[in-house]
Amino acid sequence: MSYGLLVADVRRNVFEERNFDLLGFCSLLGVDPYILLPEGDYAINPSHFKKIIKVGLQEEEFLNPLNMAHVVERAIQEFGNPYAVILSSSSSGMEIAPYVAGYFKVPIITDVSNYDGESKIFYKSYYSDKVLGHFKVEDGNFFVVTVRSGSFKAQAKEKYGDVEYVTINVEKKTEKRSFLGYIEEERQEVDITKADFLISIGRGVGSKDEIPAYEELASLLKATLSASRPVTDKQWLPKERQVGTSGKTVKPKVYLAMGISGAFQHIAGMRDSECIIAVNKDPEAPIFQYAHYGIVGDMHKLRDKLREILKG
Amino acid sequence: MKILVFVKRVAAAQEEELKIIKDGEDIDLSKLPFKMNDWDSYAIEEAIRIVEKAGGQVAAISIGDRESDDVLRRSIAMGAKEGFLLNRDKPIIDPVLRAKLAFNFIKGENVNFDVIFTGVQAEDDQFGVFGGYLAALLGLPYASMVVRIEDLGEGYMVVRRELEGGLIERIKVSTPCILSIQTGINEPRYVSIMGIRKASQVERKVYEASLYMEGLFSGIELLKWSYPPKKEGAKLLPGDMDAACKELLNILREKGVYQ
Repeated sequence: MSYGLLVADVRRNVFEERNFDLLGFCSLLGVDPYILLPEGDYAINPSHFKKIIKVGLQEEEFLNPLNMAHVVERAIQEFGNPYAVILSSSSSGMEIAPYVAGYFKVPIITDVSNYDGESKIFYKSYYSDKVLGHFKVEDGNFFVVTVRSGSFKAQAKEKYGDVEYVTINVEKKTEKRSFLGYIEEERQEVDITKADFLISIGRGVGSKDEIPAYEELASLLKATLSASRPVTDKQWLPKERQVGTSGKTVKPKVYLAMGISGAFQHIAGMRDSECIIAVNKDPEAPIFQYAHYGIVGDMHKLRDKLREILKG
Repeated sequence: MKILVFVKRVAAAQEEELKIIKDGEDIDLSKLPFKMNDWDSYAIEEAIRIVEKAGGQVAAISIGDRESDDVLRRSIAMGAKEGFLLNRDKPIIDPVLRAKLAFNFIKGENVNFDVIFTGVQAEDDQFGVFGGYLAALLGLPYASMVVRIEDLGEGYMVVRRELEGGLIERIKVSTPCILSIQTGINEPRYVSIMGIRKASQVERKVYEASLYMEGLFSGIELLKWSYPPKKEGAKLLPGDMDAACKELLNILREKGVYQ
């Protein structure tokens, strides 16, 4: 049976939850899961895998895309071509996957959120999740794929069978890129993860000049103001207020999303909120699929009307 | 320092409804405005800031049809010295094909550079593949999701990468290299219509992409488009603002976050 070569998504000795999506995807492909792991102790369940391949590299070396190309090369020498090299669509996977694909000059498809095993069709989001592209990958030696976190974990098999442990060593370590250290986020003024009620503003806010009126609305409602990436990128609100994968994951009682279309990276940071209310002028905005309540309309008008009522 | 920046012209679809047409064959973009890919404007800005400080020049390259001249003029208006268009009428769906085309162009025309910047991904296809694939083809080191360039040394750069949950990684990359730039790294400068008009006077060289694509083929095939599967979705509050506000406040009271 052919195998899927899984590149473990690890960071600071944590085996990330999204690795289960790699496993689930592997089982949809119908191939044996072989996982590459760096040195170190990771809390994994060995019965999930057919082979656990310990690579003689420290975690940071392992996550270096230049080294990973050599690791995959070594794995291929040992086990033959995989059916696919499978990574997470995360900060590591997004960086390693194209480099490995380019090193072997093989096809790549990224951010896959669904797969049809019968027709071998990959589904991938375009335009911030507004449409899906249906793709076929041409037959060849193998291909590289990154999968969207949360999309396939339900398909992961509880128990795979007897696992085999293998070690491979990589002689060629790159000197062209090296890890220097981590920087943690600085201490924050406002912790949006502790708020019960978040009013979150997105790209639709349009201009920096509109922000004070939202601050006023938040204060009238005793809510905390947060934002999606476009707003913090422009520094209209500080980075510590950003909800989403590269920012904070929040679970307030009420999440009022204004002018946020609902790209996956944002949804992943707020989907577990108790009650989500979305305001957007585009009735087809993906956010309405996740919201409990929706208002199709102009966020500024709604804001001004609310202020009028509250001050009234 | 010579910096090449790849820039892409994309439909400004963020706030617009997208219509799938011809039975899933196409997306109707005809009514949408077009603009420079968000990530790329941060990449161009970062490149220009570097040469303003350390000397050198920035060249913008776009792969696309004649209309992509827009984003080259904008790049020049922002401060790029020159612009190249790899002209091709039909869009290239597969980012691998774009990377191989770029590779053949760089090699074929002896384009020299110290660093190549790309955006982390394009707003339209969200592939995030081009920069990393090209780096591997060129045998250069690569880093993605770069949120700060800390230090420009002799033969190296120290950069910060954005990871999940606010964590940042510092790495040292030797040059020449390819970096994919993340949004928020800087504040792209404003360019006026006058500025863009003035930039039009700088010649943009046009190359036929097909000359660099001989023997290349796509590794993936786009079959069709569809809308994402619908869930139950939100319960819509009335369109009338007064009524919507009242219901909204009722929900907030019910949830106990507002008295």
